[in-house]
Formats: sequence, structure tokens, C-alpha cells
Amino acid sequence: MSLAEICGLQDFDTFKSRNVYKNDLDSFCTNFNHNMQLGVPPFSNPAENLSRFTKDEMGREIKIKFDHGTTTLGFKYQGGIVLAVDSRATGGQFIGSQTMKKIVEINKYLLGTLAGGAADCVYWDRVLAKQCRMYELRNRERISVAAASKLMTNMIYNYKGMGLSIGMMIAGWDKRGPQLYYVDSEGLRTPGNVFSVGSGSIYAFGVLDSGYRWDLTDEEAYNLGRRAIYHATHRDAYSGGIVRVYHMKETGWEHIDNNDCNDLHYKYQEEKKVREEQGDA
Amino acid sequence: MASILCPDVPSPGFGFENCRRNALLENKGLAFPKAQKTGTTIVGITFKDGVILGADTRATEDTTVADKNSEKIHYLAPNMYCCGAGTAADTEMTTQMISSQLELHKLNTNRIARVCTANMMLKQYLFRYQGYIGAALILGGVDTEGSHLYMIYPHGSSDKLPYVTMGSGSLAAIAVFESRWRKDMDEEEGKQLVRDAIAAGIFNDLGSGSNVDLCIIKKGEVDYRRTYEEANKKGIKQGNYKYPKGATNILSTKVVEVEDVMVTRIEPERMDTA
Amino acid sequence: MSMIERPYYSDYSSAPIQHQFSPYADNGGSVVAIAGDDFAVIAADTRLSAGFSIYTREQNKLFPLSDGTILGCAGCWCDTLTLTRILKSRMQMYQHEHNKTMSTTACAQMLSTLLYYKRFFPYYISNVMVGFDTEGKGCVYSYDPIGHCEKTNYKAGGSAGALLQPLLDNQIAHTNLDKVPKEPLTLEKALALLKDVFISAAERDIYTGDKVLINIITKDGIKEEAFDLRKD
Repeated sequence: MSLAEICGLQDFDTFKSRNVYKNDLDSFCTNFNHNMQLGVPPFSNPAENLSRFTKDEMGREIKIKFDHGTTTLGFKYQGGIVLAVDSRATGGQFIGSQTMKKIVEINKYLLGTLAGGAADCVYWDRVLAKQCRMYELRNRERISVAAASKLMTNMIYNYKGMGLSIGMMIAGWDKRGPQLYYVDSEGLRTPGNVFSVGSGSIYAFGVLDSGYRWDLTDEEAYNLGRRAIYHATHRDAYSGGIVRVYHMKETGWEHIDNNDCNDLHYKYQEEKKVREEQGDA
Repeated sequence: MASILCPDVPSPGFGFENCRRNALLENKGLAFPKAQKTGTTIVGITFKDGVILGADTRATEDTTVADKNSEKIHYLAPNMYCCGAGTAADTEMTTQMISSQLELHKLNTNRIARVCTANMMLKQYLFRYQGYIGAALILGGVDTEGSHLYMIYPHGSSDKLPYVTMGSGSLAAIAVFESRWRKDMDEEEGKQLVRDAIAAGIFNDLGSGSNVDLCIIKKGEVDYRRTYEEANKKGIKQGNYKYPKGATNILSTKVVEVEDVMVTRIEPERMDTA
Repeated sequence: MSMIERPYYSDYSSAPIQHQFSPYADNGGSVVAIAGDDFAVIAADTRLSAGFSIYTREQNKLFPLSDGTILGCAGCWCDTLTLTRILKSRMQMYQHEHNKTMSTTACAQMLSTLLYYKRFFPYYISNVMVGFDTEGKGCVYSYDPIGHCEKTNYKAGGSAGALLQPLLDNQIAHTNLDKVPKEPLTLEKALALLKDVFISAAERDIYTGDKVLINIITKDGIKEEAFDLRKD
């Protein structure tokens, strides 16, 4: 202190924060007040370099395994938008959960599906929900799906290359009707009619593309979504659990139903048998 | 030319055919299954009338206990036993092979094999493989020259000492010996000391656990005490985990009608050994 | 031919050896939580270890955040200390600002956000939180290292988590046992199961042992219990 005074540094005290303890605490939860400000790691390029630090003193590998979600799909048709997802969360080879909610209800007119890092998707969906509500309060009208998806893509673009893993669909109904967007952590954002995301998407697309028509009835659309997810859970080890179906209507979203994919398996098998018998006869 | 009628005689020793392939697979990021390690405490002391060997009985695979009661004191000859630490398969196969060589040696020379012979055979064998045979051994026995105790490292070096420990719990065990071992202890004292050393390993080293095995070798007499002491009692379950009858789901049923069953009993024939 | 290359002798080789400080350690430990309609129990073993050695046999890994919320942590102990320190002060700040205790659901969300803050340099902890939900029923929140949170009825985490979770699935949720009648879980059954799964974990996981501390939350408050495990 005295040395600082001799050197003429009168405002020396301002270097030190007045409130050391408060700042110490804030430095561990900055994102409570500034949602988009995450902690900076003490090394560059975390996507690649984090793995260099994940060894303990004995050199044993420390496996930090995040929950990952997997098969999701969504499509537009004459009656609005149908979203269907599975419910398995895997951390490495381990099934962390069979009951995960992969459709996030952002608000009454907006739904987000999540594939990729579960925490990544849920956190940013939550931030998006807050921003959409703020927009509503400021502008006295609902945010358009285009704007909401752009907010999302802009937010996560800031962290591009740092290891976020997100592949989400944002579905909603605004002034211009039903809207379906795909947004991912690479920075892609695109509108479209039919999407499927995740490791089981190749299987889901197979069913979806063969059964998709614009003029599907509601019931047909639900069935198509359910079947596509079921077939993905059947062939993809990282997908499974419950098949959840949501419908985005002009009046807001509606949760259609949940079906255990095990029950669906036997139901479809039974239907197949009946069809075959009819074919024989 | 190999054929069914005239098969090729397989070449002796280890097969190295897969090394190149495995190295390639490993480079591609394939993780190989880990070999079972004994992650062990093994000890040995000399006492007034001979040697006492001791071992714990836990075998681990990484952080999982693979075997709760594995046998780590191996037979070499009637007057010699050998504790093994390291890769479970290596210690077992090495001691088995040396055991049969010692038996042949005994038949050839018509004499009881000496402990230094076994030591030499083991270290020469291990040295040939430059440490790739992961066997760390404690060799103890009594012969015409008295009682002997050797420790043999995987690379093929060996020490002859009055008290030795090896394995991941060796530090815990040697601490007991350094403070309490004396020359010419009697048998009861020796057994207690070895038990305490193994127990130190069992409780303080996570790689060691379960029970204490002892082997007391005296001149013309071996007392192998498998499960000398159960260091840890397993907890008692409170719940009942029996399933009610018919708990399993029936997915499909197929009934096969079996008609006219004839049961014929065939008497076993003796093997022709003439 | 890397399998039969000469082994590396540090004394005779001139290749530089790289040493690096490691910010992470795996200190082991297991946490199991079970919730019923009118109770929630959480238990953790008390062994703290690293590599093949034991640091202590009596480390409490349960952290009561309030009268109705308890957090269990297993994994990197230094991360646990930091995380719980922040949670504790945050709980205090909330108390002073709102003049009420934070609810379990709010605690659960706060922990998720707190974990996600360190998304790019995560806390290496298996977190399990128990308490009562908004309807007054017991609940369990389980987390992945970067803050994905799920509300469940039971969860096993930590070094023996993968060993115990299937057992709980079978005994509590009766997964794939359609014909076994489902009875509501009682506190007695939950406690017996809790002790039994820890006995099993101590048999096969080297990082679980010594003792189990159990915290039971009912409407009467938090009760503590202890239970001995094998010590090898």
C-alpha cells in the first residue's frame, strides 16, 4: 500500500474489488444474470483441448460423459406440424434415462426438439423461452418462429467450434401459419417441410419419406410420426424408450400421446400378422 | 502341406500372428479388453523352521472386482510355492509351466528340486520376454540347503531376502514387516505377522481385498491354509429378492407333442487303455 | 509391431517426457436416492479415494441445502467443494432477498444452470438431489456433468452407478415385470433396498465401501442413519 502511494498510485484501491466475496461468487454463476455468458475455460479450443486435461495424477482416464439425445422428427402437413421423438438419453454406452423429455415447451405456440447434447439443448431452449417472453412484453405480439429460430442460431453461433452439440427443430404457429425450422450448433438455420435429426434419423427418414403426403389427416400424421420413431428405436441402439407425439395447431401445441416403443413393437407385429393373413385369404 | 490326415504340428510357445493386426486396430482407436490383474498384496517371510507365504484373494478388472476369492499362492513343487501378482493369466501359466519343468527336473536328477533352481528357471523365462509377461512373483521353499525366499520382477531380476512383499499393496505390507520382523521367529508369531501384513494390504490398498491365504512351508511339510482368515464379512441382505411365480412375460408359446418316447440306457464303456 | 517393440527405458532414452498438472481427479464414491409419496431418502458411502489408496473412510458426501432439500455428490472432490460452497451462499442470498427458503424445484433448476456455466470446463461430479416437489411428493433430480437435469423417483450415481441403476429399475420400477403387482413404495422397503444395494456395490466396486450415510426427509424434517460396509 505504501509503495503504491510513493509511486503515486492513489486509486490503487480500485484495482482490488471492494467486494471480494461477492465477485468470487459471481465469477462462478455469471450466467444467472447474463444467460449467454458462460464460463471461459483456462485453455483455448475446449472442443479439442479439454480431453488433454481429463486424466488424473495416476494417468487414469477421467470419462466425462454427457447425456445425449437421439431420434427426433417433425413435418408440416395440411393440419399443422407433427413432432415425434423418442426418450432415451445415453452417456457413452450407458443408458442414462429412458424417460427423457426431448420436446421442450418453449411457450404455447413454440416447441423445440432436442438432439445432441441434452444439457446444451435444454439450456439454450430455456434462454430462448425467456427472450421470446421479453419480446412479447416489449412488442405486445408473439414472436415469429423465424425470429425465434434466428435468436437461437445467433446465440449458439457465438460458441461455434467450442464443442456445443445441438441439432434442434423449432416448430411454431405465427401470423404466417405453421413454421418449422432446423437449427444446429454448426450455425445452420433453415426452414423446411420434413426434418429428422439424430443418430436414428436415417431410419426415421426411410419411413417418413415413404409415407409422407401433404394431405395427411391428423390421425394419419400422428401414426406416421409414431411409426417412423418406432422403426428408428428398433434399429438404432441409441434410441428407445417412449415415443412422444406433439401436434402444433393454430390454437397452440397439443400433446397427443406417449407410447412405450415396446408396446408399439407388439402392436405393429400384430397388425402385420393380420395383414399377412388377409393377404393369404 | 497340412491336411486333415496329416495336420501341421503347431509351433511351440506364444503366437505372434495377431500382433500386427492388433497394432493396426489399436491405431484406429479400438480399445482392447483389459486383462484381469491381480492388483495384489503378496508377502513372504522366513522364520525359524522355514518360510511363510501370504496373499490376499481379490482380482480386479480396472475398478471392478472380478474375483472375490482368487487363489494367488501357486504350487511349484512339493517343497516350493510361489505367490503371483500382476496379470492373472501370466502368473498362473508361468508357475504352471515352471512347476512341470521342476517335476521333470526332479525325475531326471532323482533329487528334490532346489529353490535356487526354480528361481533361475523363472527369471530366465521372464527375462526372455522383456517384461511383457506381467508376472511379479514371490518364490518360497525349503530344500537341502535350508529355507529360501526370492522375489522376482516381471523383467527377470530377482532378490533373495528374509522378508519380501509385492503387488499394489506391497508398501502397506512392508511397513508391517519393517517394524515387526525378527530373525528366527516361531511359527505362531510368523503366521500372525504375515496375516497382519496381508490385512494391511487388504484394508489400505483398494487393489487388494477379501480373504487372507497362508502357506507355511517347513522341511518335509507344507501347511496350505486357504482362507486362513476372512478379513471382511459380507453384509446381510434385508430384502427378499425372489420373484413370484410367473413374473416373466411370455412372448410366444410353442407346444411340441412328443409321442412314444423310448428311453434306452447306454452303459458307459471303460476306456481302452491296453 | 508395437506389441513387441522394445520397452521404453527412461534412463537411456533422450525423448522428452511431458508432465502436466491435472485439474481433475476421480475420488470415487456412490450416491443412491429413492423417493416415495411422503418421503425421500438419499445415501452415499463415506469412502474418499484416489487410484489405489483411500484418503479417508469417513467423508460425508451429502449436503443439506435446506430443511427439505439434500444434494449428494460423487466424483471429483475438489469440484464438489467448490460447487457446494457456491450453492450454499446462493441459498443464503435467496433467503435474505426473498425472506423464504428456496424450494427443491428451484434448487434443482439453479444447480442445472450452475453446472452449465462451466460447460467448457465441466465440474466432474455425479449429482443427485432429493426433496419434495410442488405437490408435496418426494422427488429425485439427477444430473449429468454439464447440467442436464431430470426428475425421477430413484437414481444411482457415482462409481457404482452403472452397477446399481439396473437393480433399482428392477426392484422399484419393475421394468419388464408386467405381471408383478405394483405396490406403492414404503419408507421401510426403500431403506432396506438402499442398504442392500450398497452391500452389493461394496462387493464389486473398489471405490465404494467403509460406511453409508443415509438422510431421510419426511414432513417431520431430516433424519440421519449410518450403516457399515466392508472395509477392504
